[in-house]
Amino acid sequence: MVGEIWDLIILSPMINVLIVISGYLLHNFGLAIIALTIIVRFVTLPLTQKQLRATKAMQEMQPKLAELQKKHGKDKARLAQEQMRMYKESGVSPAGCMLPMLVQMPIWIALFQSIIRVLAVNPEGFLNLARHLYSSWSQVFSLVPLNSKFLWLDLAVPDRLLMLPILVGGTMWLQQKMVMPTTSADPKQQAQSRMMLWMMPIMFAFLTMQFPAGLALYWVVSNVITIVIQYYMVGGWGGLAPAGARKAAGRDKKYITHITRVEEKPVDYADVGADIGADVGADTAQKAPPSLRMFKQQAKRSKGHRPKRR
Amino acid sequence: MSGKLLTGKILLLLVMLVTLVGGPALFGCTGGVSTVPKGWSGVAIADGTIFLGSMEGKLVAIDVSSQERRWPDVPFEAPKKTTTFGCAPASGGVAIYGSPALTEELVYIAGYHGKLYAVSSETGALRWVYPREGELEPVIGGPVVALGKVYIGSSDGKIYALDAATGDRAWEFETGGKIWSTPAVNGDTLYIGSFDKKLYALDAADGRKKWEFATEGAIAATPLVYDGMVYIGSFDRYLYALSEADGSLRWKFRAENWFWGRPLADDGVIYAASVDGWVYALNADNGDKMAEFDLGSPASSSPVLVDGSVIVASQVGRVYALDASRHEKKQLVDLEEEIYAPLAASGGVVYVHTDKDVLHAVDAGSGTVRWSLSLESE
Repeated sequence: MVGEIWDLIILSPMINVLIVISGYLLHNFGLAIIALTIIVRFVTLPLTQKQLRATKAMQEMQPKLAELQKKHGKDKARLAQEQMRMYKESGVSPAGCMLPMLVQMPIWIALFQSIIRVLAVNPEGFLNLARHLYSSWSQVFSLVPLNSKFLWLDLAVPDRLLMLPILVGGTMWLQQKMVMPTTSADPKQQAQSRMMLWMMPIMFAFLTMQFPAGLALYWVVSNVITIVIQYYMVGGWGGLAPAGARKAAGRDKKYITHITRVEEKPVDYADVGADIGADVGADTAQKAPPSLRMFKQQAKRSKGHRPKRR
Repeated sequence: MSGKLLTGKILLLLVMLVTLVGGPALFGCTGGVSTVPKGWSGVAIADGTIFLGSMEGKLVAIDVSSQERRWPDVPFEAPKKTTTFGCAPASGGVAIYGSPALTEELVYIAGYHGKLYAVSSETGALRWVYPREGELEPVIGGPVVALGKVYIGSSDGKIYALDAATGDRAWEFETGGKIWSTPAVNGDTLYIGSFDKKLYALDAADGRKKWEFATEGAIAATPLVYDGMVYIGSFDRYLYALSEADGSLRWKFRAENWFWGRPLADDGVIYAASVDGWVYALNADNGDKMAEFDLGSPASSSPVLVDGSVIVASQVGRVYALDASRHEKKQLVDLEEEIYAPLAASGGVVYVHTDKDVLHAVDAGSGTVRWSLSLESE
C-alpha cells in the first residue's frame, strides 16, 4: 500500500518527468538531472529561506542561550522550558534548520530508484520501469533507456575517478562554512560546529563513492545552488570571508523583526545568579546591543538611506 | 572533555553509522529495486536432460526422470569489483539471463559478467571460454548455435560469431546501442535487435548486413521468423511484421506497453505477450486481432507451444493455456513466485524457472505440478 502510494505520487512522476526533460535536453540524462535539481530547489526555496533564517537566528541567539545555560544549567527541565520560550518568542524553530534536508530525502531516494530503472542498470530494474511509464505520454516509450554518459561520468555507477566525491564533499564544506558561526559564546557549541563542518562532507563524500554518479550529480548541483542562495540571502561569503574583511550581514526584514523582538525584549533578571551580574541586565534592557544597531544601519543602506557624506 | 560534547560526538557517530549501513538498504539493496542483478535463465532440454543457469551463477544439468544432477553444478565467478562498497558483492556468483544453447557435445551459456562458456554436456568439463582474457560488457541475451558457429550479443552493442568448437572469433558486427536480445537464425540469415531501435538482418556466415529496420523504440525482444516473415516487438509498444527478404514493413500492431519476450506462431496466428498484461492473438498475414487475453499482470517471459496449446506465464506466477480459436483462457496453476524466464516444454511438460530459483515441472494438460526443485546449493 505504502509502496503503491510512493510510486503513484513520487516515483512515477519523477521517472516520466526526467525522461521527458531528457528528451528536450539533447537526450542527455545528466542535463535532465541538473534541470530537475534546479526545479526541486526552486520549489523548496521558501523552505530554504526559512532554514537560513532559522540558522542565522539560532546563531544570534547563542549568547542568550549561553546565559540561560549558566542560569538554569542545573535545572534541565527549566532550561528546556526557557529555551523553548526563547525559540517561540523569536519565531525560530530548531527543526527548521533540518526541514529542507528532510524534504529532499524522498527526492534522493526517488532519484536513486529512477536512475536504476531509466538507465537500464540491470534487467530487473529496467523491466520494472515499464509499469511506471505513463501510457498517454507516447514519447517516454521512445526515449528509454536513457544514455548514461555525461562528461566523464557513467551516471549509473559510482565515479571511478573520485572527482564527484571530492566535489560533493568540497561544496558541502563550503556551504556549511558560509553559515558557520564565526564567534560563539559557547565553546562547546563552537567545537560541535567545527566537527559538523568536517563530518558531514566526509560522510557524503563516502556515500558518493557507493551510489550512482547521477545521484551525486544532484548533490553537487544542489550544494552549488545552496551556496548561491546563501550568498545573496545571508549577504556575502559569511564564514568563508577572512576575519578582517567580514562585514555585517544584510538580513531581510522578517529576520530583523524577529531578532529585534528577541533582543529588545527585557529579560527577567530578577533571579539571575550573581555570576551574570545586574549590570548586564541593565545594559541589555536600556539599549539595543551593537550588533542590532549595526544591521539596522545595514538594512537602511540597502534601502538607499545612506548617510550623507560631508 | 565535557559530558555534553561527548554525547554530541557519540550521537554524530551513530548518525554516520546508520547512514553508511542503512543508506544502501534504504536506497535499494533491500527495498525497491536491487542494483544487484539476479538473472532469469530459461531452460534447454535434450536427451532427457535439462540445462539451465541458476541464480547462484552455476550451470545446472538435471536428469528429467530422476531430477538428480547429471554432474556437479559448474560455477562461474565474476571478477572482483573494487569500486562498490555497498550493494553488490565484491565477487561471487554471476547472474545468468539467457537460456543455454545446445549441440550434441556442448552446452553454451553466457553470464552477465560478459563471458561465454562452452561446457561438455556429458561431463560438465569446461571446453573453452570467450573472451579468454578480460570480459565483454554484460551479456543479457542467450547464445544461439547454427552453421557451426555460436552467436551472442553484448551490452557493448556488438554481436559476436564464434567457432562453435573452439571459441575462436569468426566475425563481429557493431550496432548503435546495447544488445540485450537473443539472436534468431533462419537459413543463412541472423536477426538481432538492438537498443539503437533497429532490427538487423546479417549474413550468418560473415556478418555482412543484409538490411535493417528502424522502429521508434529500443528492442530487447528476440525476433521470431515464421513463414517468410520476421516478427519483432519493440519498446515503442508495437509488434512489427517484416518481410524476411528485404525487411519491408507488412503490418504493425500496438499494445499498451512494451513487448519484451519472443512471440510465438501457431497455425497462422501470432501470439505476443506484452508487459501491459495482455496476450494478443494476431493474424500472421495482416495483423488483425483475433483474440486477446487479460493475464492481470505483466507478461515478459516468452510463451511456449505444447500439444496445440499456447502456454503463457504472468510475472506474478500464474501459468495459463490459451486457445485463440475458442477465445479461451484456462489457468493451469498459480506458482505464487515471480516468473521472468522464458518457458520451455518437452513431453507435455512445461518447465518454469522462478525468481526463487526454483524449477517447476507443470503438466501442460492438467496444470498439476509434477515436481519442483530448488537450485540453491545445500
